[in-house]
Amino acid sequence: MSAAFVRAAALASALGPDLETALGRLRGGEPLAPARNTPAGGAWPFFAIPMGSGNWAGRASAIAQTVAEALRQAAGLSRDDWAALPCLVGSSSYSVGAWDEGGEPALQRPLEFCSMLAQRFGVRGPVIMVNTACTSGLGALDLALGLIAAGRCRDALVIGVELANRLTVAGFAGLELLSATRGRPCDRARDGLVLGEALAAVLVSARSGRWRIASLASGIDAAGLTGPAPSGQVILDTMRAALTRAHWTRKSVDLLKLQAGGAPLADLAEARAIRELFAAAPQSVSLKGALGHTLGASGPAELALLLGSLDRGRVPDTWGFATPDEELGLAPSGGEAAGVIRVLFNLSGFGGSVMSLALERTKPR
Amino acid sequence: MILLSPTALRVAPGEFPARVRERFAGELRRAGSFAQLCLLGAQACLDAAGTQGSLGLLFASRLGALRAVRSALTEGLRRGEPAMPFTFIAMQPHLAGALLAQRGYAVRRAVHLHFAQESWPLALRSAQGWLGECARVLLGWVEESESDEIAHHSDWCLLQKEPAAGSVRCTPEESPEAGAPATAEDWIERVAAWRVAPRGALVLRGDEEAWRFALEG
Repeated sequence: MSAAFVRAAALASALGPDLETALGRLRGGEPLAPARNTPAGGAWPFFAIPMGSGNWAGRASAIAQTVAEALRQAAGLSRDDWAALPCLVGSSSYSVGAWDEGGEPALQRPLEFCSMLAQRFGVRGPVIMVNTACTSGLGALDLALGLIAAGRCRDALVIGVELANRLTVAGFAGLELLSATRGRPCDRARDGLVLGEALAAVLVSARSGRWRIASLASGIDAAGLTGPAPSGQVILDTMRAALTRAHWTRKSVDLLKLQAGGAPLADLAEARAIRELFAAAPQSVSLKGALGHTLGASGPAELALLLGSLDRGRVPDTWGFATPDEELGLAPSGGEAAGVIRVLFNLSGFGGSVMSLALERTKPR
Repeated sequence: MILLSPTALRVAPGEFPARVRERFAGELRRAGSFAQLCLLGAQACLDAAGTQGSLGLLFASRLGALRAVRSALTEGLRRGEPAMPFTFIAMQPHLAGALLAQRGYAVRRAVHLHFAQESWPLALRSAQGWLGECARVLLGWVEESESDEIAHHSDWCLLQKEPAAGSVRCTPEESPEAGAPATAEDWIERVAAWRVAPRGALVLRGDEEAWRFALEG
């Protein structure tokens, strides 16, 4: 692949309305407890963005505006270059939450919602919505890399968005995938996912950036439509493909960002793949105990939070992980990030979508 | 880039369940109607082109599985019922890739997109970019009808690098203004119609880009 970089990122999440607040909270605070009895989450714990209480559409617009402003400042593009950006949006629920308040008339078509986001960001390039379920945000990043590689643009705006809606929570509850208490990635007591909201934006660029995208590999795990094969074979194949395309060996990986969100079987499948690939598992981290599982937004959201933390010298702690599960053999841990140069970033989701992103730091901190 | 088997499938909503049963013999029981429609069209294209090598699946639509989402919202959620799997988020389109893989195809990647009607060349370009990783890419436009009077659309073509008998070579056209305007929902159908009785090359335009379709050899 031609050279592409993460030039800037911004995030609104349960940890705060902006990335700095989120990083401060992640660095110093007690683990955030998911909210209870929210309109979207009902009786289930839910990680909501602490912003606004207006109507759904107004709140979505305000969140987008906040993230847009933060990204614009961090990106340092000229006004014309910014305005010309294509906008690639990954989401599994787009504006379905508007129905909760306004019923049928409030339900937009998918592209209308994405066009609203592009407007808030002030960009006028092509708008594309990408749907690959929980990997939608990374799917959007993948498409952006294709546009850059084909010479169609130098920079691309990638947005991952998942905002509160009752339908998603009801669906996960119906599949018995939710925890009634909290997300415990890789923990012996893990008992399910906690869902969350996020709106994250990443500026991908052929120009220089602090992190180079060394490769992005995808796979389709057809074993089950709502979870990976127990062997983790497709996850293993996808990580291998990412390493091969990046020209890395397995020893090159300094840090592994796990998909793990606390689902008993899915965490186990990923752990099996990791054990198969690495003689000794590298340092690892999961961010779903801090953000919740933000579904289609999770790629850009976790990318923004992880790279932001690494750029500030820290591998974040894995909130919710306390007691290792011997069957998994994984013990995610935080700490100093000085030695972290190469990061393998895993994501997977419904419909068998599996992705693995290889990132390499270009500049010393 | 070579294009094979442009297929424009039109199915009346009333006939759709029978067509699915006829082709898949009830194998798709757990898939929603949008995923079934994707698969019916994609399979028709594969049946015509033959199957070999790894496959990518890239398709787009205007509404996606909005019908299923509406149904889940209005019929289930309002009554406080749990949403049925595969209808509760916009994941149903994405299932098409997994369903094809379950039928024995070596699907490497799959993505469902929404974009403006005139932006169809973007999908062609993206599919072209996948041809390093996938031997073939199924490229489609799928639209589930909102009315019983209007047919469902499931239009597909297969892209690959290597020439094949009866195939169509597609290349970017240097003078975009030479192309006839086309849209995301009609360009495959127009290539399919042209392919039946080709007279010269077909040049179609979208955004500021045009593509030339010509019989190989």
